[in-house]
Amino acid sequence: MDHAGGRLRRHTRVAAVAATLAVAAFGLSACGSSSSPGASGASSSGGGAPIKIGISLPLTGDFSQPGGEAKKGYEAWASLVNAGGGLLGRPVELTILDDASSQEQVVTDYNRLISQDKVDLLLGTFSSLLNYPASSVAEKNKMVLVAPAGGSPKIFDQKFKYYFFAQQATAPNQANPFVQKLLALPADQRPKTAAFVTQDDPFAAPVIASMQEQLKAAGVQVVYSETYPPETTNFQPLASKIAAAKPDLIAQGAVFEDGVGLVKSLIQIGYNPKILFQTSAPTNGAQYSDAIGIDNTEGVFATVSWSEKAPTPGNKEFIAEYQKQNGAGLVPAEDAADAYAAAEVLAAAVKGTNGLDNVKLQEWLHANKVTTILGELSWDEIGRPQGDFLLSQWQKGVVEIVAPDAAKTTDNLVMPKPAWK
Amino acid sequence: MSLRREVREVQIVQVLAYGILLGGMYALLASGVTLIFGVLDVVNVAQGAFLVMSALFTWQVWSVTGIEPLLLIPVNAALLFVIGWIIYRGMVARVAPQGPSMTVLLMFGIALVIEGTLNLVFGNKFKSVTPEYFTWSVKIGDIVLPVPQLISGVLAIAILGLIYVFLRVSWAGRAVRATAQNREGAALVGISHKTASALAFGIGAATAGAGGVLLSIMYPVYPATQYDWIARLLGIIVLGGLGSIPGAVAGSLLLGVMEAFAVTYVPQWSTLFFYGTILAILVFRPQGLMGSVTREDVV
Repeated sequence: MDHAGGRLRRHTRVAAVAATLAVAAFGLSACGSSSSPGASGASSSGGGAPIKIGISLPLTGDFSQPGGEAKKGYEAWASLVNAGGGLLGRPVELTILDDASSQEQVVTDYNRLISQDKVDLLLGTFSSLLNYPASSVAEKNKMVLVAPAGGSPKIFDQKFKYYFFAQQATAPNQANPFVQKLLALPADQRPKTAAFVTQDDPFAAPVIASMQEQLKAAGVQVVYSETYPPETTNFQPLASKIAAAKPDLIAQGAVFEDGVGLVKSLIQIGYNPKILFQTSAPTNGAQYSDAIGIDNTEGVFATVSWSEKAPTPGNKEFIAEYQKQNGAGLVPAEDAADAYAAAEVLAAAVKGTNGLDNVKLQEWLHANKVTTILGELSWDEIGRPQGDFLLSQWQKGVVEIVAPDAAKTTDNLVMPKPAWK
Repeated sequence: MSLRREVREVQIVQVLAYGILLGGMYALLASGVTLIFGVLDVVNVAQGAFLVMSALFTWQVWSVTGIEPLLLIPVNAALLFVIGWIIYRGMVARVAPQGPSMTVLLMFGIALVIEGTLNLVFGNKFKSVTPEYFTWSVKIGDIVLPVPQLISGVLAIAILGLIYVFLRVSWAGRAVRATAQNREGAALVGISHKTASALAFGIGAATAGAGGVLLSIMYPVYPATQYDWIARLLGIIVLGGLGSIPGAVAGSLLLGVMEAFAVTYVPQWSTLFFYGTILAILVFRPQGLMGSVTREDVV
C-alpha cells in the first residue's frame, strides 16, 4: 500500500508545478539526475556470471523516505541470497538507479536498465505513481515487474500480463479482515451504528467505501458518510458533526495528518467511539503514537501488509539482515519489508522455472503461490493479488496483529476501545 | 422544533468559533507575507518554509528539554528575524532590481534549500509537539474550544496587534510604512530604504517564527508541509489585497470561517469553497478586499 505515497502525492503536485517553473526559468534540464548505480553484495556467493537485476527507486525527491527504505529491503534480500549461494548457483547483482520521484525519469531509468545495462530481471519502484509508467516499459519489453508498492486500480486497468503487485490485496479489499472480524463478534458486541469518513485519496477512499458497503449489507446503520479533500487540516468541525451522530464505529480513510487531526479533535470534544478504524495513519509507528499520545492509541485498528512480529517464514532472517546492514535495534519500515517480499517473489519464479526467461516467469507467477515474509501471495491474470491484509490493533503501546490466525501476534482483542486518556 | 433550532444555533456558533480561531492563526502568518510584499514588492514564497523551520526547531527544543513550547515564541521570532534580515541583505536586496519575477524565483530557491536542509536534519517524518494541554478543551455552555486552537488564535491576534502598534507608533515602524507608500519620498526625508526594507523582511519572517511555534502544537509537521501553507497564505493575501495588513486579517477571518462551515456541512467541497471564494471576490474586486489600486505613474 502507498502509505507515504498517498501522503506525499499532493506535495508532489505543487512541487512539480513549482519545479517546472524553476527549471524552465533557469534553462536547466531535469534529466541527468540519476545517481550512480549501487551494486551490492556480489562477493560471497558461488560461481557463474552474476544475475543482473535492474531497479529504479525514488531515492531523492518526495518519495525519498519510502524509496530509501525499499532500497534497504532489496539490499537485505540480495546479501542474504548471495550468502546462501545465490540464485541458480549464480550471485545476484542489483543495479539501483534514482528516479528522483519523477514519472519521466522512471521511464528513462527502466529503458536504460533494459537496453543499455541489459539486466536479466527487473524489480519495481515505489508507489503507484511511479510504477504506472514503469509497468508500461516492462510490458513493452516483455519483462516481469514485481512491485513492492503500487496497488492503484489505475495500474490494473491496463490489464498487463507482466506486472505483479507484491502485497496481499488491492485497495478495495484492504478492509476485508476488519469487516470479517466485526461480523464474527457476538451480536451484542457488533457495532449498530457507524460513521464513515475518508480523505479523497485513491488508496484510502476505496477501503472505506467497500467497508461501508459490506457493513451496511450486514445491517449496520450508517449515520455519517463524508469525503474530505486532502488539503483539510482542521478536523474539529468534522469531529463535532460525527460526534453528534453518536456512532459505535468510526472508520476513517486516513493518510496521516488527517488521521491524527480527527483523533485529536475527538479527544478534545470528548467523544470516544466503541471501535475506531483508520487506514495508514496508525501504521506509522512512533510518528502516530507521538502525535496523539501513546495512551490514546489503545484499541485503534488498521490493516497492514507486514509486521515485524509476524511469524511468517523468513521474517526473522530479514529483520536480522536489515539490522546488520542498517544498525542494531532498527525496526524495518513496512516499505523495506514490501521490497524484500517483492524480491522473494521474483526469486521464487526464477527457482520455479529454473531460468531467467521472463515469459516463463510471468506464466509461472500467474499459476503459483509464493511464500514471502508478508505471508502467501498469489495473483490473478492481470497481476492483482488475491489475499488479505493483516489486521492490526494498537495494544499497550505496540502494534499487534489480531488476524488472520497464521500471522497473529496475540489472541487478545481490545474491544470496546477504552476511554481517551 | 424549537429544540432542534436551538441545536442548530449552537452548532453555528460552534463552527463560527472554530473559524475565527483558525482565521486568527491565518492572519498572523499572512500578515508577514503581505508586509514584505507591501514594502518590497517581493512575494515571499519561502514563508511556508520559514514556518516549518520554526515548527521543527520548536519540536527539537521541546523534545530535548521538555520546555513549554509557547516560551519559544519570542526566541523563534528573534531567530527568524535575524535569518530574514540576513537573507534580505545578502540575497534579496541584490536580486530585487531585476524585478519581481526574479525575486519569486530566488525565494522559491531559498524555500527549496530550507526544505532540503530540514529533510537532512530532521528526516522526512512527521514531528508533533504535544504539551500536556494538546488534547484539552474549554467548554463555554455547549461550545467547545480546543485549548491549542484557543491559545494559537488568541496569541496570533495579540502578536498581530503588537506589530500593528509598532508600525503605527514607533519611528522604525513608521519608516517601514513610509517606504511602502513612497520609497523616493521616504528617502528624501532621510529614511534608508535598505534598512527599512530589511526591517520589514525581518518582521515578516519573524511572524513565521512565532507562527511556527503555534503550528507545532496544533498539527504534525514535516518539511514538505510548507507547500500546503504557502498555497493557503498566498490565497489569503491575494484575497485581502496585496500589501494590506488589515486586508490580510479580513481575508484570513473570512476564509477561516468559510473553511469551518464548509468542512462541517459540505466537507468534500471545502477546498473548492476556499479558492472559489477568492476567485469570486477577485472577479468583483480585482485589487482584493482592501487593496488599493496603484497609480503606476507615481512610481
